[in-house]
Amino acid sequence: MDLLTFSLHNIFALLQQMSVFLVIAYLFTKSPFFRSFHVHTLHPRTLLLLYFIFSTFSILGTYFGLPINDAIANTRAIGAVLAGIIGGPLLGGAVGLTAGLHRFSLGGFTAVSCGVSTTVEGLIGGLVHIYLVRHYQQHRLLSPMVAFLTTLVAEITQMLIILTLSQPFEQAVALVRIIALPMILANSTGAAVFVSIIRDQRKMYDELSVFFSTKALKMAEKTVAILGRGFNMQTAGEVASVILQETGVGAVGITDREKVLAFVGDGSDHHQVGQGISSTQTMKAIRENRIVYADGGEKKWRCNLSAACPLGSVLCVPLRLDNELIGTINLFEPKNKLFLVTNKTLGEGITKLLSDQILYARYIEQKTLVTSAELKIAQAQISPHFLFNALNTIIAITRKDADRARDLLLHLSNFFRKNLKHTGNLATLEEELNHVHSYLVIEKARFEDRLQLEMAVDDDLLALKLPVFSLQPIVENAIKHGISNMLGQGVIRLTAVRQPGSLRIMVEDNAGNFIERGKKGLGMSIVEKRIKNLCGENHGLEISCNPGERTVVAITLPEGGCGEK
Amino acid sequence: MIRALIVDDEIHAREEMAILLAETAVIEVVGSCGNGIEALKMINRLRPQVLFLDIQMPVISGFELLNMVNQEIMPHVVFVTAFDQYSLKAFEEKTLDYLLKPVDSHRLAKTVSKLQQTIGENRPPTFDSEEIRRIPCLLGNRIRLVGLEEVEFIATSIAGVHLTTRDHEYFTEVTLKVLEERTPLLRCHKQYLINIDQIREIVLLDGGMAQIATHGGKHIPVSRRYLKIIKKKLFI
Repeated sequence: MDLLTFSLHNIFALLQQMSVFLVIAYLFTKSPFFRSFHVHTLHPRTLLLLYFIFSTFSILGTYFGLPINDAIANTRAIGAVLAGIIGGPLLGGAVGLTAGLHRFSLGGFTAVSCGVSTTVEGLIGGLVHIYLVRHYQQHRLLSPMVAFLTTLVAEITQMLIILTLSQPFEQAVALVRIIALPMILANSTGAAVFVSIIRDQRKMYDELSVFFSTKALKMAEKTVAILGRGFNMQTAGEVASVILQETGVGAVGITDREKVLAFVGDGSDHHQVGQGISSTQTMKAIRENRIVYADGGEKKWRCNLSAACPLGSVLCVPLRLDNELIGTINLFEPKNKLFLVTNKTLGEGITKLLSDQILYARYIEQKTLVTSAELKIAQAQISPHFLFNALNTIIAITRKDADRARDLLLHLSNFFRKNLKHTGNLATLEEELNHVHSYLVIEKARFEDRLQLEMAVDDDLLALKLPVFSLQPIVENAIKHGISNMLGQGVIRLTAVRQPGSLRIMVEDNAGNFIERGKKGLGMSIVEKRIKNLCGENHGLEISCNPGERTVVAITLPEGGCGEK
Repeated sequence: MIRALIVDDEIHAREEMAILLAETAVIEVVGSCGNGIEALKMINRLRPQVLFLDIQMPVISGFELLNMVNQEIMPHVVFVTAFDQYSLKAFEEKTLDYLLKPVDSHRLAKTVSKLQQTIGENRPPTFDSEEIRRIPCLLGNRIRLVGLEEVEFIATSIAGVHLTTRDHEYFTEVTLKVLEERTPLLRCHKQYLINIDQIREIVLLDGGMAQIATHGGKHIPVSRRYLKIIKKKLFI
């Protein structure tokens, strides 16, 4: 009876100091270190940190302990056992030894036994760690049940060690009778609660980051298509709406360096698109090139435009492109609403994302610019040989057949008109064939009997689209490097076939000179590059050459032609 | 009248040129053809005084053609091209003139008067031939450009000039004299040129003559006159 009340009293006392402990544990989980800490990946540096943390816990456990009969009832075991479970026998043993040595230095008749037993307890935790890892049960390293049972076993072991090592034996028995129950229960429970605090915090962080990632990804998904069209007033407006909808803040404003590009949400009646930047914080963010935050508490956001503006807090994040500030994204909350920390984090994160998207869009834009510049080069490449030979031919024909000469001149002008026109990236196969037809009619006149033309393209393929100016350079190559080098009769065959998965437009000549030339000329390379850019990487040019017999250049396109992007 | 040959691979260009030349009343077009091989034949046969020569032609370009013409019968040359990509000014020293297509009759008149003057003063054409690297040959109705390294020997007979490689025998319009002058092939007999790299052995015969066996297993006579030169070349 006497013993029981004493035990109960002890349990409560121990639980009391445990609470202090748990507060410290809770604070630990709030530290930045904890956020980056995962039990699955422990680096030497992390281990060292954990060693200090758990050793401190353990030593504090000794200090908070109750002196009983020249011994100390305490919660020292929790630090050592948990260090073992989380970090393995090395960490557990090190923490146990440290706390044990500390306990030893305090003296008393259990000094030796307590010192030894704490080290052993750390090692027991370590054994559990090894067992769980070996059996692929890492997820249970932070299980309260595991912590409870391990500490239970460890504490019982400690009691046995005290009985074995402490002298005199009678005094040890008396002590153990008093402290065994409270220490075993208090330490086990404490360890379990400690672990569950860590675990819950961990879980919360995980859930929070999942929540953040999902939101950010969702926004990114919506904005990527918008910003793909460039960063301007139109797209800024759409992006602002997406951010407003996803974050649920009061209002969103996007500016460039001088003026408002977009403003949606509360206060959009007087915050108008196109006007100069009025917000003090935004100007500061631009001037100092950093995030400016007015939380609405100590630092208030005041509208410089209207006294009736409902907005009261703001987060201004600079939008940077290659380290150059190009504008800001501003999230506002009304005066009556708190600016959520989550939204602050999200706002900062999404701005980085948007910067990347704008950068990507710029890259694509420049890539397209390059290709359209190359198209101009390709068109300018129309060989002067062709022009002057054509004119020479027509002049000669004028003497003999005025009607034919007239017809040829019409083809020549059609050819050049098509060449000079470069609006849009795609043309129908019909338009391309028309262009090529004019070209071939003129070449046929030049070479007369030496050139024979064959064309077989199904009418239902005529509406399919391909990059403008793809066909002519290939036909020109076939003539210039193929037929015109032949002494015998040259044949150019133009065909188009639709196969499952692809459309092939083929230009065949019977010169078979391609191997001799070795590589694609500039014109052909540009054609191929444009097909890849506009129709996809899997398409382009396929060339096969049977020397002296024939060369086939096939344009491969998606089955349904190329789509407008 | 100045005798002219027109060489251009486009029929309308030839016809137009013929008409323009006829209009000058100074030039008589003795022939026209569409490629270098025919041109070579016609030059050898017709001995024109002037060539109106296109540069870009199939198989043999205008430049290559000139390298294959016998220096003794080399005509004056007027290049006619659609586009001056060869910087023809650089050839002004070597050739009489060049014309750009479409040809303007006033410009042609200048060329013709220059031609009259040159021929009147009896100045020879100054086109310097370069080395021939590929010899245009006929095999049936196909034309092949045979690289010099392939050639074993070249022989002339009443039928013409024959070029022998390891696997084929071709007919060529290029004369033995031109080939001797503008290729590293060696004369070993009045009627034979040999590729020195293709000689496997030389068998000395009575009377200071010899016989060459080629890597391809063919036998070619060496006359007394040329044996010395060949020996010297081979450091014997």
